[in-house]
This record gives sequence, structure tokens and C-alpha cells, in this order.
Amino acid sequence: MYFFRFKLIFILLVAVNIRANAQSLKFLIPDGAVAQYAGSIGYFSAGVSYDLFPNKRGSLDAMYGFVPGNRGGVLHIAAAKFTYRPWSIGVKDWAKFYPLNPGAFISYTFHKDLSFKFPSGQYSHDYYYWSEAMRPHLSVSSEVEVNTDKFIRNTGIKAIGFYIEANTNDYYLINYLQNTSALKLNDIFLLGIGTRVKF
Amino acid sequence: MRILLLFFLALTVLSCNHFEFSPNQSFDRISLKDVNVNNLRKLGNGIGDDTIKFVLTGDSQRSRDETVEFCKVVNAIPNIDFVILDGDISEFGVLKEMTWISRTLEDLRPPYVAVIGNHDETARGKEVFLNMFGALDYSFVYGGIKFICHDSNSREYNFDGQVPNIPWLKEELKPDANITGYVAVSHVPVNSEDFDSKLVKGYTEAFAQTPGFLASLNAHTHNYQLFYPDKSGIPYIITSAMGSSEFLVVQIVNNKLSFERVFF
Repeated sequence: MYFFRFKLIFILLVAVNIRANAQSLKFLIPDGAVAQYAGSIGYFSAGVSYDLFPNKRGSLDAMYGFVPGNRGGVLHIAAAKFTYRPWSIGVKDWAKFYPLNPGAFISYTFHKDLSFKFPSGQYSHDYYYWSEAMRPHLSVSSEVEVNTDKFIRNTGIKAIGFYIEANTNDYYLINYLQNTSALKLNDIFLLGIGTRVKF
Repeated sequence: MRILLLFFLALTVLSCNHFEFSPNQSFDRISLKDVNVNNLRKLGNGIGDDTIKFVLTGDSQRSRDETVEFCKVVNAIPNIDFVILDGDISEFGVLKEMTWISRTLEDLRPPYVAVIGNHDETARGKEVFLNMFGALDYSFVYGGIKFICHDSNSREYNFDGQVPNIPWLKEELKPDANITGYVAVSHVPVNSEDFDSKLVKGYTEAFAQTPGFLASLNAHTHNYQLFYPDKSGIPYIITSAMGSSEFLVVQIVNNKLSFERVFF
């Protein structure tokens, strides 16, 4: 009986808490959706996008990507991508062009051959110094954002953006820095294209 | 706006080969396939060639600049029959690295073959190697000499006693009327901590018991070394790394093996 009462109070407490937090949890609702082709996080990837900073020039995308077997072997990838848009060029009042946007992202590839850390029983601690599954990337992108409110109203879609992004990672940078005559920047920066729909 | 879209479109079309799905993909549209088999077909069987002359190099990881130089230097040496790249083609076992090196080695005049190294077995590297170069254990005969290329990267298999594959080696070392000599080629040398200590005896004995066995050729340590692990008198020869701008030119005449170090 005592236990039951305790449980009831607990459930009530949780319910009240959820109610109180509903307002503050609003930040979890994404500001947009993203879909991308290539870009080193899958043949195709999709995810949600959050605006960052008061000027909304930053974005954080949480993505899931997939590579099918016939495109390089089956791979599942999760990625968290940060982009900042320092420059904006208005095209009349219905579009914006963000010419050069630096960014960075982390990708994690789920595969039995890829470990987060090389097993310590098999290798001494500095034998291989990197993680196979987790990759840091640097990126630069260009984006055109069309203000859809102007054309189609009441869809809940504020804007649609199209971007092209070049990225590299620690593996490629290390190779590049040690081989600056045989490797060019366009050898180590690989491309992806995508679209961002803003709610 | 139209100009912008055209600019995007042009950029996209121009850079078709630059779309990457993952650093861990094991092949793409432009990656080479079956390099070893294709190059061995070009090499032929060398019947009638009484002076076998080949280059032994290895550890080309993070060394594309040096690999470009290497090709020029090797192309200038007369009568090289073929080149062996003895493992650690890549540092991180990824497609891009093996593509960069294999594309550069396309400039070699003589055909080349690649042997797998421990770094090439990290990540999805083994898949990349299988796709791009071919089998991990394979052999070929040139001028009556059998070259037995194999995986000796025991640590990558957590010393499971299967690598190097001694039963396979013994099968390859069996006497054959058309073969006068044998050469073993693998990445990790028998005196390394990365070689399965349980297999050292069986491995060296298999070579010692083979009549006409000439040498074991290795890489991995990034330093030239000549050593004799047993009393058989068989030389075990380690080449320096591509990145150290050094390789070996090996010559076999009348079933006698000699070599010289070349610096570039």
C-alpha cells in the first residue's frame, strides 16, 4: 500500500513536470528538415535542422545517412553538422545567397570493421592513434535560400535552400599536409549537395 | 538568380567524380579494379628471361610526393621487369589513399603488384584492397621463379594462429618441374613483434626445407635490414619505406639472388 502510494506520487510528479517543461522543451522542435546527396555522410542522408544564434546565421543539422552495397559497401552513418553563414547577399526580396559558409561536422559510421577505439588488448596505446568509426570533418558551402512565402502561402514552409558543400577530414588533411605537391586541395575536398526546408 | 543556378549546375556537373559517399566506402566510380591480375597479365611468364630484375618497395602511406619521384627513378633504370609494393599502401586503410597511390603508380613503365600491409587492414581497408588489387595471398611465376605474396600481418588478426597461413604456404612451396627458385614476399618480417610468435618456427622451417628457396622479402619497419633468423642461410631482406626515399633493386641470375639499395 505504501509502495503504491509512492508510485502514484511519482507519476503525478512526472506528469506535472512534463507540463511545466512543455514550454521550455520547445527548443527541441526543429526549424527545418535537410536532405543531402553524397557529402561523405552517405549516398543519401536526411535529418533535422536547428537555427543557431539570434541572427539565425548558424545551423546545426542532425543527419542519418546510408550507403547502399552497390555504391561502395553498406554503411550507416550518423552526423552532427555545424554551419555558419557570415555573408548574405539579397536577391530582390525573394531570395538570399550565402556565398561562403565555413562549417565543421562529426560523422560516426556503424560497421563491424570500424571501432570507436582500437582494442587495447591487441595494440599498445599509441599503435594506431585515430578512431576508425568517428571522423572529424571541415567543410565550406554555398547556399541559395528562396523565400517560399512569396510564392506559396499557408504551407508552413518559410523557405527552401539549396547548397553545395565541400568537406575534408583528418585522414585527408594529414595526407595533404605531407604531400603538398602530389595532392591538391580538390583531391582532399569532396562534394555533396543538399536541400534545406525551413518551417 | 538564373546565373547563380547555372553556376551551381556547372559546378555540380564539372565535379561529378568529386562526390563522396563516405571515406569508408570500399570502391567508387573511378577506383581501379583487379590491379594485380591485370598487371601480371602484362608481365607474362618471363620464359627466356635469364636475368630477373625487379624493384622492392613498401610503406607508401602518406607518401604520394615520394611515390611520384619513385616512378621517375624506377622508369630510368634499364631492364626492370616488375615492381613489388610490399604493403602499407595506405595509413588509414581508406579508398582515397589507395586510389592516390595506385593512380600515381600507373606512371610506372614496368607492371607492379601490391601486397597487403597492416595499415591496409584497418577500417574497411581489406575490402578496398580486395577490390582494387585482389587476393591477400597469391603467387606468380616469372622466369622460373615463384613469388609467393602473402599476408603476414598477424597482429591485425589478434594473433589467431592463422596468419600467415602456413598450410597455404606449404602448398605453394611444393616442388614443381617448371620452378627453379622461390621467393616469399610479405609485409611484416618474421623478427617483428607484429608477427605471430607461435608461427615463427613453422614459417622459417617451411622456407628452410624448400630446395631452391632464395629469400624472404619484407617491409614494415621503414628501415633497411638484412638478417638470418635461422641457420639455413636464407636471407630475410627488409626494404626501407617509400617515404624515406629508398628502395631495393633485386636481381636473380642462375638462381642466385643479389640486391642493391637505391636512394632517391
